[in-house]
Amino acid sequence: MTRPEPTPSGTAFPGGWRRALEEGASRYSYAFLDESAKREIRRRILKAIALPGCQVPFGSREMPIARGWGTGGLQLTLALIGPEDVLKVIDQGCDDSVNAVNIKKFVGRVAGVRMTTDTRAATLIQTRHRIPEEKLDSGQVLIFQVPIPEPLRLVEPSERETRRMHAEADYSRMWLYLYEDIVRYGEITVGARYPVMVNGRYLMDPSPIPRWDLPRLHRAENLFLFCAGREKRIYAVPPHTDVEPLSFEDFAFRVERFPGRSCSRCGAGDSFLDEVIDDARGLRSWVCSDTAFCEKRRRRKAPPAEAPGGSR
Amino acid sequence: MTPLLAVRGLTKRFGAGCGECLDRTSALRETNRCPRCGAILACREVSFDLYPGEVLGIVGESGSGKSTVVRLLHFDLEPTAGEYRLAVADAAAGGGGRNLFALSPFQRRRIRNEHMGIVYQNPRLGLRLKVSAGGNIAERLLMAGWRHVGRIRERASELLRQTEVPLARMDEPPRNFSGGMQQRVQIAKALSTRPALLLLDEVTTGLDVSVQAKVLDLLRSLQRELGIATLVVSHDLGVIRLLTSRTIVMRHGEIIEQGLSDQILEDPQHPYTQLLVNSVL
Repeated sequence: MTRPEPTPSGTAFPGGWRRALEEGASRYSYAFLDESAKREIRRRILKAIALPGCQVPFGSREMPIARGWGTGGLQLTLALIGPEDVLKVIDQGCDDSVNAVNIKKFVGRVAGVRMTTDTRAATLIQTRHRIPEEKLDSGQVLIFQVPIPEPLRLVEPSERETRRMHAEADYSRMWLYLYEDIVRYGEITVGARYPVMVNGRYLMDPSPIPRWDLPRLHRAENLFLFCAGREKRIYAVPPHTDVEPLSFEDFAFRVERFPGRSCSRCGAGDSFLDEVIDDARGLRSWVCSDTAFCEKRRRRKAPPAEAPGGSR
Repeated sequence: MTPLLAVRGLTKRFGAGCGECLDRTSALRETNRCPRCGAILACREVSFDLYPGEVLGIVGESGSGKSTVVRLLHFDLEPTAGEYRLAVADAAAGGGGRNLFALSPFQRRRIRNEHMGIVYQNPRLGLRLKVSAGGNIAERLLMAGWRHVGRIRERASELLRQTEVPLARMDEPPRNFSGGMQQRVQIAKALSTRPALLLLDEVTTGLDVSVQAKVLDLLRSLQRELGIATLVVSHDLGVIRLLTSRTIVMRHGEIIEQGLSDQILEDPQHPYTQLLVNSVL
């Protein structure tokens, strides 16, 4: 079978394939998901908020991107978004990575909302593996894409068993894992995906955000929603909820440190830094992982003439 | 004196049951399998008391239901019927003399962690063989809410010293250990939270004779030092003679004789007990 030529004059798509696509998009209900799917997801979100940190199963829909590429976060975004919303999408702090741009394009097409890179201006922020450096306020919702929602998966492969452990708040296996880590390496070696206790009850996987971001979950002003599309789970951290990383009395939880380093672009010494290696010259430098934060700082510092556009 | 542990009418049936199971099986009828529906009555209407500091033995041939009793008491299995009271657990359960089998799994697990220690015949059941010996002990302490690595390690090394496991091997996984040493780590783990009740399920079975003697020696001296109420399950009359003061003889899931250990071993009344005592090599 041969595919029709994707040309404006092709018989398969009168008026051109691009227009056909646009028309196709308009035939979907607002924000792609049908209304019953949205209603189910919203109900699940309410349940997740009522039980902070508890994983609530939901019927994850097929999305036009592959499972594992942010379908969970995307479904939450689409279930919550309205025409007045302002959306920001980041991928490991970056506004312009392929994943983030694709999701932005898709949501823009099906929901027709305004996009922004400014953390302050957004009402919905979908994120992969980072929390923005700027503090969020009560009107904003941060939506995480989660690969593995089960924090106990590391120590227990059976889903039936991990559910029992959650039901009975039996988290000794996770504690034992951390104890063994300390015995073997002299410190806790968990980098990203550091397990946290939410509201003193449920052990939660905060998605693979660096430890640096964990203190931001604790008693925040805004709502955090987490969703794993492949694993079909939604969970939430409501505003003003206690979120405590597991730690021992004599081995306290520590965030990443960047002693003596600062962002080579904006000079920030108090943000989470990415290491950048210049292969050509063999040099290493550090830049802010949160590109919008970095840009904002540079714009504030630089003379106005140079500001627009920046040096992308 | 009030008993530490009281068990009444403990019954465990595997299979659907037909309503006549209890009437059609018993030690007298020489079977624990209901001929009508095929259900197995692993233990039927077992009742006994255990007093503080006492060591009670349960003896019987394999399949007589002695391990089932221990597993029921440790909440590893759900009973079909029966009542189970533990004097020390009453405060935690919120009310005097409550039936522990009626509690939620969450409450039962708490009582188990706080008040019970168990040593299985197979170290695989009681230990995580890939986690270090110290970690195995730490697991119970972590369950009990210990959150200080230094203090956990202190307590773990104290226990390992007591059970004669070389401290140098504290951070090695028990799968590298010999059978006797694994058993001693298991004992250390069981004792870590200072339980009121210790359950020993065929602790020396499968060990060679000299190691058996060492483990029994250890258990006896620990018993003298700590005075924990202990339930010893064994098919080995030597173990029963050495460790226990009172003994229950089980057959086909039923208690057929009970009394002081010496009395049972020297002057058995029930024909089966007589056979058992006489078949010792």
